[in-house]
Amino acid sequence: MQTHFHMIRNYLRLGVLMLLLAAFAAPLAAQSVRPPGNAVNLDDGREEGPSNTLGDVSDTQLWDNFRGGDPADFLAAAPEGQLMTTTGQQWRLIREQYIRKYLGWLPLVVIGLLAVFYLIRGPMKISAGRSGKTLPRFTLSARVAHWFMAAVFIILGVTGMIILLGRPLIGPYLGLEVNSVLSSASLQGHNLFGPVFIFALIWLFIKFVRGNFFQMVDLKWIFKLGGFFGGHVSSRQFNFGEKSWFWMVILGGILVSVTGVIMLFPGLVDDIRWLQLSTILHALGAVVLIAVAFGHIYVGSIGMEGSIDSMLKGEVDENWAKEHHDLWYEEVTGKSAKEETL
Amino acid sequence: MSKTADIAVQKFLEHTDSEAASFFEACVHCGECAEACHFYLATDDPRYTPTYKLRPMERAYRRDKAPLSTLKKMLGLAPKPVTEAELKEWEELVYDSCNMCGRCTLVCPMGIDIAGTIRKMREGYAAAGLVPDGLKAAAAKVEKTTSPMGVTIKALEAQIAHQEKATGIKIEIDKKGADYMATFSSMEIMGYPEVLGAYARLFKRAGLSWTISSVAYEATNVGVQIGSSPMARGILERVVKAAEDLGVKYVISPECGHAYGAIRWAGPNMMGRRFKFEVVHIIELLDQLRREGKIPAGKKDGRRITLHDPCQIVRRGGLLKEPRKLLDESCDDFIEMKGAGITNFCCGGGGGVSANPRANVLKTKAFSQKLAQLDGIDSLEAVVVPCGNCRTVFEDGLEAYDKDGIEVLGLAELVAETLAADGHKQG
Amino acid sequence: MSFLDLVEGPMFYIAATIFVAAGLWRLIGIIRIGRKPDISPAKGSATGGFIKGNLRHFFPRGIFARRTMVHILGGYGFHIGLFVLVFFGAYHIEFLDQRLLGFSWPALPRWGFLLAAEIAFIGLIVLWVRRISDPVMRLISDKDDHIGSWLTFLVMLSGAFAMEQAHDSLRATHMLLVNIWLIYFPFSRLMHAFTVVLSRGNSGATYGRKGMNP
Repeated sequence: MQTHFHMIRNYLRLGVLMLLLAAFAAPLAAQSVRPPGNAVNLDDGREEGPSNTLGDVSDTQLWDNFRGGDPADFLAAAPEGQLMTTTGQQWRLIREQYIRKYLGWLPLVVIGLLAVFYLIRGPMKISAGRSGKTLPRFTLSARVAHWFMAAVFIILGVTGMIILLGRPLIGPYLGLEVNSVLSSASLQGHNLFGPVFIFALIWLFIKFVRGNFFQMVDLKWIFKLGGFFGGHVSSRQFNFGEKSWFWMVILGGILVSVTGVIMLFPGLVDDIRWLQLSTILHALGAVVLIAVAFGHIYVGSIGMEGSIDSMLKGEVDENWAKEHHDLWYEEVTGKSAKEETL
Repeated sequence: MSKTADIAVQKFLEHTDSEAASFFEACVHCGECAEACHFYLATDDPRYTPTYKLRPMERAYRRDKAPLSTLKKMLGLAPKPVTEAELKEWEELVYDSCNMCGRCTLVCPMGIDIAGTIRKMREGYAAAGLVPDGLKAAAAKVEKTTSPMGVTIKALEAQIAHQEKATGIKIEIDKKGADYMATFSSMEIMGYPEVLGAYARLFKRAGLSWTISSVAYEATNVGVQIGSSPMARGILERVVKAAEDLGVKYVISPECGHAYGAIRWAGPNMMGRRFKFEVVHIIELLDQLRREGKIPAGKKDGRRITLHDPCQIVRRGGLLKEPRKLLDESCDDFIEMKGAGITNFCCGGGGGVSANPRANVLKTKAFSQKLAQLDGIDSLEAVVVPCGNCRTVFEDGLEAYDKDGIEVLGLAELVAETLAADGHKQG
Repeated sequence: MSFLDLVEGPMFYIAATIFVAAGLWRLIGIIRIGRKPDISPAKGSATGGFIKGNLRHFFPRGIFARRTMVHILGGYGFHIGLFVLVFFGAYHIEFLDQRLLGFSWPALPRWGFLLAAEIAFIGLIVLWVRRISDPVMRLISDKDDHIGSWLTFLVMLSGAFAMEQAHDSLRATHMLLVNIWLIYFPFSRLMHAFTVVLSRGNSGATYGRKGMNP
């Protein structure tokens, strides 16, 4: 039961990704390792190297021939007989200049924003106070599926970040030997837990998909920004924010899973560019998930009073339910959410 | 440490033999036992988790009797001593919320006999006097009249007289040299006296010589329920002596749960010797007689009937097939309830719970699990309950839940009702 | 002697000795407590019941299993996965051959080792997560349960980190944790691995005497 909004959002994601990649290709041409167009060979009196075997062909021309084509053509097919590809260089530069340099900041930025939000707005309390009466929200197996995913996510997240950012972040401070040990450990652990994540993702999907499809009531929620503007918003079992997070995890999870499997079994693909793309998409998807996960953890713990009960105990306070999920409260209890719990 | 706690702990340790020790050492705190316990299932209260009920006894063992406990005590790693307050807090768990039904034992992946260990734990409680008032009162009545309900020989004789009139068969008391001595539960004598007549008809048809002892007609053993071996032994000795004095070959254990276990399995161990007679359960005996062709089945009962499996007879007693065979032959429309057999739910009243008024509300709640089983059968008309105590619990429970349309029957009576017509006329 | 040599050598032998000695002390101690012989007339064999009880309890009874499928699957996954990876992982067979037994046996291919490890991890994490989520398990669990779970998890995790044997320090960390685990084992609830035979056997024997095999 996918709404238009959902489908459009998917296409937008894909489009942004493509734009990003294309955008990278352009400046990279300017940063390539080729010599500038006006370079000349200076006569330094030394014997020319292998280039002389082709007679009057210059070094530049020679390397051009090795590469066999326009190096700025990022998406050109690699013809047989070509000895080198420049896409590898471009991939390496994307990883060094953009991913390693900037992507790692994203989770920190999110944590910073959350800290500022918490200091200014403080935790969102239950307006009517706790009633002391509870109603069940998540079954035991749903909670186990969630915390199982959380454990696996943390293990993969930590090991993954070490793999990605070990050299620039750990190397300078703890030494390259320590980085080597940690990176090796992280890679082995990360590769082992990858398939475990796929299992956890499927289990999580089965347990939580019902109730997470987008509906009209979510549009109203968006316009009021979850109650930020205009006070009270209605929600069913899951509000728009929760649903978005669910689908982010599922789709982002599928992304990291597919790219992860490609990286675990490189023989599955015959073109090296799939592997290169996988590393970039895997890192992007993973770091975005980690960043938003901090938001999820914030709201689910200190950011909103009463939220954590749902996952720790499976039950929530009635006033919490009436305030944040009034339609769900009415569906489950048959009572009006507007009446007070005595 | 208080004297009460001292006495209880000492008894706990005394009764922790290598079997109980192996149980304490094997529990991995998985909680599966809770999923089998009708008290937990009916209330969702984790305190009714069976292994949790054993905590004080387990702690005493870990502190003072377990291997390596001395070393742990030296390092300050042994558990703290059991306090009187804890024992009092646990009294409700040990007596009100446990029938010693053994469903937990069945499901435990480690094979721990939690039910049997509760029995041993009650030794500590009984010695320390931490026993529910209802059971204390029953024990006092047993002291006076041998019956936990205060049924005297006069009352029994009155019931016998009624049944002799109803059936036209003489029921002999204290007949020396009879082959069988029948014992009954007070519940049967006062509440379902037709069972006396049923025995008379069945045994006459089978040509069995049998009698009832005037000093040992009571089969139930409140000592087992309270958990006091000395009391249990005293009650049993009375029956054993009477049977051996009468020179009978067999003692019949009636449709009653704990009575069977008390005399058949625990009996010789409590007395320290084997008996000069064999113990046979009435269901065993009826089945045997039926196989020998001595009590052939006649016109079958046409009602839609199901069977309750009393815990101490089926799951803990071993008589799984016999009641079913008898019912198959005596009934047209016998349907098993879901979960019947070894895994059947306890009625909720065994193990002393029905003699404990304090546990009444909890017992009725626990009966909801049994009720769900009955509700699972469409148009159910009757349920055969081969245990006098269970029968009362059923009647009370069905009334509490407005289901008293369902009749509650005894097995011996049903078999007697459906006996084939006798070709010979007997004077 | 390097740290790796220490943890794989003398420390391992000490830890293994404690494991065996304390474990035996505990098991023999339980048996030596003794029990009175059962003199009631038997309907079946107690010895037969001892063995049958041990085997029967490997199979969860259907009527109860439905309520706790996650628990049962996690339990089997963890135990079987761990057994397979410990005794059929190439690194482990090599270690046991060199340090303890002097003989070896065929190992799993690497993918088999990984699969067993993944299943074992899933089982262990799911079980521990259940232990802190289910009200019954929360009430009846104690420190021993959590330390046992976490110690086992850390042994397994450090093992995963040490794969490909690229760094001695990772292998040494794994071995150090293994030694700690071996020392902790006989004093803790982890001993259920052996006491289970006694408890299943005892209740099996009691049922066997009554002519039952429930």
